[in-house]
Amino acid sequence: MRGKESGSQWLLLIAVFLIATCGIIYELVAGTLASYLLGDSVTQFSIIIGVYLFSMGIGSFLSRYVNGALLPWFIRIELLVGAIGGFSAAILFLVFPLAASFQIVLYSIVGITGILVGLEIPLLMRILKDKVEFKELVSRVFTFDYIGALLASLVFPLLLVPKLGLIRTSLFFGILNIGIGWYLADHFKKELKQAVRLKAAAIILLLAELTAFVYAEQIMNYSESLTYNDNIVYAVSSPYQRIVLTRNKREMRLFLNGNLQFSSADEYRYHEALVHPALSSVNQLEDVLVLGGGDGLAVREVLKYPTVKSITLVDLDPVMTQLFTSQSVLLNQNNRSLLDKKVKVINADAFVWLRNNTKKFDAAIIDFPDPSNFSIGKLYSTLFYQLLKNALTEDAVAVIQSTSPYVAPRSFWCIDSTLHKVGFSTLPYHNYVPSFGEWGYIIATLNPRQNWFSAMPNGLKYLNTQTLQTMFVFPEDMKTREPYMANKLNNQVLVQYFEEEWSHYLE
Amino acid sequence: MKRRAFLQYGLALAGISGAALSCNNKRPVKGSIIGANAGIGHLLRDKTFPTPIKSGKKKVVIIGGGVSGLSAARHLQKNNITDFILLELDQKVGGNAAYGQNQISPFPLGAHYIPIPNNNLSGYLEFLQEAGVITSFDENNLPVYNEAHLCFDPEERLYLNGRWQEGLIPLFGVPEIEAEQLKRFFQHMQEFRVAIGNDGKEAFNIPVNNSSADPIYTALDQITMKDWLQKNNYNSEYLHWYTNYCTRDDFGTPYDQCSAWAGIHYFAARKGKGSNAGYSDVLTWPEGNGFLIKHLESSVKDNIQTGCLATQVASSEKAILINYFDTKDQQLKQWEAESCILAVPQFVAARLLQNKVREDSIHQDVQYVPWMVANLLVNSLDEKSGVTLSWDNVIHESKSLGYVNATQQLLDGHPTKRNLTYYLPLTDKEVREERKSIEKRTHPEWVEIIMKDLERVHPDIREKTEEVTIQIWGHAMAQTKPGWIFGNLRKSLSEPINKSIYFAHTDIAGISIFEEGFYQGIQAAGNILKA
Repeated sequence: MRGKESGSQWLLLIAVFLIATCGIIYELVAGTLASYLLGDSVTQFSIIIGVYLFSMGIGSFLSRYVNGALLPWFIRIELLVGAIGGFSAAILFLVFPLAASFQIVLYSIVGITGILVGLEIPLLMRILKDKVEFKELVSRVFTFDYIGALLASLVFPLLLVPKLGLIRTSLFFGILNIGIGWYLADHFKKELKQAVRLKAAAIILLLAELTAFVYAEQIMNYSESLTYNDNIVYAVSSPYQRIVLTRNKREMRLFLNGNLQFSSADEYRYHEALVHPALSSVNQLEDVLVLGGGDGLAVREVLKYPTVKSITLVDLDPVMTQLFTSQSVLLNQNNRSLLDKKVKVINADAFVWLRNNTKKFDAAIIDFPDPSNFSIGKLYSTLFYQLLKNALTEDAVAVIQSTSPYVAPRSFWCIDSTLHKVGFSTLPYHNYVPSFGEWGYIIATLNPRQNWFSAMPNGLKYLNTQTLQTMFVFPEDMKTREPYMANKLNNQVLVQYFEEEWSHYLE
Repeated sequence: MKRRAFLQYGLALAGISGAALSCNNKRPVKGSIIGANAGIGHLLRDKTFPTPIKSGKKKVVIIGGGVSGLSAARHLQKNNITDFILLELDQKVGGNAAYGQNQISPFPLGAHYIPIPNNNLSGYLEFLQEAGVITSFDENNLPVYNEAHLCFDPEERLYLNGRWQEGLIPLFGVPEIEAEQLKRFFQHMQEFRVAIGNDGKEAFNIPVNNSSADPIYTALDQITMKDWLQKNNYNSEYLHWYTNYCTRDDFGTPYDQCSAWAGIHYFAARKGKGSNAGYSDVLTWPEGNGFLIKHLESSVKDNIQTGCLATQVASSEKAILINYFDTKDQQLKQWEAESCILAVPQFVAARLLQNKVREDSIHQDVQYVPWMVANLLVNSLDEKSGVTLSWDNVIHESKSLGYVNATQQLLDGHPTKRNLTYYLPLTDKEVREERKSIEKRTHPEWVEIIMKDLERVHPDIREKTEEVTIQIWGHAMAQTKPGWIFGNLRKSLSEPINKSIYFAHTDIAGISIFEEGFYQGIQAAGNILKA
């Protein structure tokens, strides 16, 4: 008899240990997720820890209202923690696009988990109070509690996040929680009236979490955390592309189909270099066309010109432009540019749109993804640039992002040749963007001009007059040595060049 | 498009479809069989007509609104003859270059591309310039082709040994010895391309009738392509498959029945050079050659009577009397004309002329092969490894010629749905037997044949196909059997009758390609202008 009592006691103490571990893990998951998604990790972690500990306090306080059979309550709470905590990361990832409600959901989850965990320790102590001497009890319960906390804090960053990712980590501990619940229900089945019901509930939850563990994670982790160095904070598949947002301590990165579009740390270098040399050279800058660039970052730069009356942004993917007009972190990044009343966002294929367009623009900023496949290669073709010509005023300046002249010089100069082929004069240039490397752009004009770069806006973070001069100087290893073929729809040479050069580089 | 062995042991199509019907758990695919105007066409064969109502007099009546007939009409118009009428049986002109349309794009129902034209075909180049296919001529007087019409890359892929390879010439997993043979074969074809006969004419030319009569080359018309390969020590199975694919593709004739001259012509007659294109490039449009039909039709629209089945062409002393059945008011009518151009296949022409001797000799010596062309409206499909979706997608050892992506020339880089046009020349059995069996085949049976074939390369094609439009061509083209090109029959059938009845069709041209139809029309109209 004594042996069995002692066995039950140890079992419950092990439960304390695991509960503590799980509780801390849920808190860490929430904190990490919040700092990925919302930025500013100090604030996020600090608030999450505060909310969590406070909620535990509420839980402890509420424990006094729990009376009657305590063990079933303990098991029920165990299952509930397992369910809410287990799905917490998955829920938060799913809720993130609904910007307005995200914080509410985040803190609710943290709060509820805290309350439930907070309920558990007092309940457990009351369950065990008649079985163990009080000073022994307090000593043991808190010993196990704190050991669990230490273990959680160590395995979370070292083992769990790198190996499992956030969603799986939370599900794994959810499964553990529910497992304990089931085991306790089974172990104490003679003392419990509802043992069968509790066990059934546990099994249902267990299956749900196991399924989520297998499926949700397979998609997220295997396809993506392998590709991305940082943690994915948001991922969505539109009909056109896979949009993935990652975050580490320093920066947020956006990937389209696995290709880096920008890093929040240095995108200003890219976008200032893309927009200002061209726009500052237009005499009467009123109507600006932006093709691609659904992130609104180029538009943010265009809005620095007070003479601009209208900006037409044509981006294929409504999911992309929607994201950058609604997500608070992303709105901070693009300075709410797409919400500006001068900006008209059109979701269409740029080629098809351009063919039907009749308006003339004073400047065009062409910010398409790199020509890594035939669909995108079309947008760098002679026929495309023909149509572009028709959309430009005589004095207009166009600029085309043209991949890296260091990694892919043939691709870069092929774009240059293609522009020449349809009658543009070009001004190729480049700058250094740490997250991209050496990057290239080509200014294209139809008529000669004198006042280059005369209207540079003040207060840029990267560009100044001296920097500007250096951008047009090409070192030997980025120069062209041969004339390249123009990229046409019926040869798509650019895609071939690009594939060869980048695959060689990435080997 | 398959190896010999497969041809020999392959299941008859009817057998496949029969087996398919027994698995009744397949989701039915929407769509219909269209354009099989056999019903109206066969009136000509089966019905007797009352006395016709007189429609009036015309200088010229053209019967048939395919490429030949439209080209004849255009040529008359260009030479200021406007007093003519063109009778077309169908509701729309176009013949083999007809096209359809759905919510995604237009799509071809038959011929779907033209190669870069040979530069000596000035009339043809002029037409292409009118149609906007040629935008200008460069400083070397080479045509500059409209880049929206040159086939977009990637152009061709072949599913071979479990992988999509680039181009249609077998390469992937082909043993070195066979690859060497393929190389030798293409060198051989290159020699034929530049060969000049003892009469100073090009050995292989377009139109076919402008080719050299040098017996060294014309003798090639006496043997089959397969015999020619064997005689020249070409035994590579891959090469045999490839040439068989080519002769079926261009002439609807398996290589063991196809004249070697025609087979070689496929490789050796293309010599065109543009400022921005070479002889191996092609011009294509979402609606296939329907694009060119639209242009041919545009200038002569007012002279076209559609839904009119010509029933008889008779010469009286002073005029030609053309009886026709107008399907709109179900009346038999009659045009009286000074001359008539029969821009219809010879088996139809012979019936119109009610010339039994002519009819019998055609029945005996000319085989019109049936084709099935299907348009599949599909969502994006699972792909096997290798080259991505191309314009022309061919499956090694399939009975079909594969499919063409009709949406290739759309500028939209990210279509969620596509039209795929699937080509199947029915060459397993003798042509009349094939024709009989296709008349009975239902839409689900055709769909099953297509799905069985394409499932190998797109496992999810059944679920992803929304609609299948089947076009049956009962008499798609005259087969190029040995003796057809340089034999006497073709020549005698082409002879005008009494300087008032002229023939214009790709069957008497020798091979069924756009240029031939185009020049057949010009020649017939030209003869009328001269007369």
